[in-house]
Amino acid sequence: MKCPRCDGNKIEVIATSPVGNVWEVYECMDCFYSWRSTETPHIHDKFKLKKEQIDNLQVIPPIPPLDK
Amino acid sequence: MAKVYQDLRSFLSTLEENGQLVRIKEEVNPEPDIAAAGRAAANIENGPAVLFEKVKGYPYSVVTNVHGSWANHALMLGMDKTATTKEQFHEINRRWERFPVKPEILKREEAPCKENTIDKAEDINLFEILPLYRINDQDGGFFLSKASIITADPNEPDNFDKLNVGTYRIQVKGKNRVGIQALAFHDIAIQLEAAERKNEKVPICITVGNSPLVTYMASTPVMYTQNEYEFVGALQDGVPAQIVKSDLYENLYVPAGSEVVLEGYIEPRVREVEGPFGEFPGSYSGARRQCVITITHVTHRTNPIFENLYLGIPWTEIDYLMALNTSVPLYQQIKRDFPEVQAVNAMYTHGMGCIISTKVRFGGFGKEVAFRLLSTPHGGSYSKIIIIVDEFVDPFNLPQVMWALTTRVRPDKDVVVIPNCPGMPLDPSSYPAGMHSKLIIDATTPKDPEPNPREVELLEPPVGYEKYEALIRKLMSEM
Repeated sequence: MKCPRCDGNKIEVIATSPVGNVWEVYECMDCFYSWRSTETPHIHDKFKLKKEQIDNLQVIPPIPPLDK
Repeated sequence: MAKVYQDLRSFLSTLEENGQLVRIKEEVNPEPDIAAAGRAAANIENGPAVLFEKVKGYPYSVVTNVHGSWANHALMLGMDKTATTKEQFHEINRRWERFPVKPEILKREEAPCKENTIDKAEDINLFEILPLYRINDQDGGFFLSKASIITADPNEPDNFDKLNVGTYRIQVKGKNRVGIQALAFHDIAIQLEAAERKNEKVPICITVGNSPLVTYMASTPVMYTQNEYEFVGALQDGVPAQIVKSDLYENLYVPAGSEVVLEGYIEPRVREVEGPFGEFPGSYSGARRQCVITITHVTHRTNPIFENLYLGIPWTEIDYLMALNTSVPLYQQIKRDFPEVQAVNAMYTHGMGCIISTKVRFGGFGKEVAFRLLSTPHGGSYSKIIIIVDEFVDPFNLPQVMWALTTRVRPDKDVVVIPNCPGMPLDPSSYPAGMHSKLIIDATTPKDPEPNPREVELLEPPVGYEKYEALIRKLMSEM
């Protein structure tokens, strides 16, 4: 299975339905996109991510320097 | 004494009694049904809260649109559901004067939020407690959009005035792991920076499903040193908010009636991808690297109700939630220095658009009032389009505001743009994100020493119009 957003292949099952066996929730461990097995994700091009984009995303809030 | 709610459930009962809550009894899919109902309820005049009793794969219920109409908003305040927006504005201002009202601290065994406890991190599974779902199609995951989040100041951990109760979006990233958005100008960011400078964890409680005024105050921009629980007591017309000590942290207090309380910590100096998320300006905010929280302890009521809100192109529930709770604190902060100010309508996109009515003491006074708005903590970043009108113009009556604009404004002197100011980064017209220009339109009547060469006399209503207004209404009701 591949991540529909970043094409990463480190996908984990983070949940199975507590009632019945009706769905699972998957998450990409590279970009943290998550989706339910009952969904058909269609990520718009502007929201797709590549590895180098993930590394360079804006950091909010900025990490302050450590106190001396 | 106005009716007071110490938990979500008692408020839902009142909504139902007043025809402002509907139940969907049939099983629904998490996507897209719950969000679709949130949009639909917002499209309906005086739309109700919508309670889903059965969500596929989950054991518990979901409620949305709890604050999503002026009728629900009035009932939250214990007012008649037909109270107008302006009446609600003035009633909140009256109660605001009661601040601070010390909260009542309950014993653990008295607090409904402690009915069930999960005390081992490895036993926590958020999906077993909350029927999580995607709100907007391109969201990066499942979000809590209406949680009230409690943190303390690491430099003064026991200072109750600096205990922060705020609303920040939360993205679920695992069974006991979530992301949080803490923007630099938010109160929680002050606390986060103090902790991260020392590489310390930030203790945090995330509470879901609260009494309506707890949720209301959590999303109200009050001053950093003003405690939100003490405002809840004020808005409950003097009845203290009931709170209880967190299980993990001696200095954190949570609402005693919360449906679910998640306790844990923000991991210091860690950022990972969060978003996109459909935000209050009616568009997505993109993916960013943001903070991460590990949940290590959970308490919840038996059969917890998951309260969450839908955000779409305004107006949706969030616009009702953030309408007067943005207007009132800005009014209170400005009138402290300018008692001439009559009312503030900051209902448009969380105060990005703002209309202020004021008496004018001297020439240029309208602009001075606008500058004061822009020097409040919230107005400084959020407010972008500021319209100042005379005291005889009702800022909640948009046709009247348009009248003031069309007959009072001379664009060459009354319209100013101030470049390179702080901006709201989620505003898609802010560039770079967090920077913006400010537009001030002074629609007040010129006053000495500003010349007013064509001074006019305002039209007065003909004598006896009130009598005819009553008569016409009576005749119409008899038709």
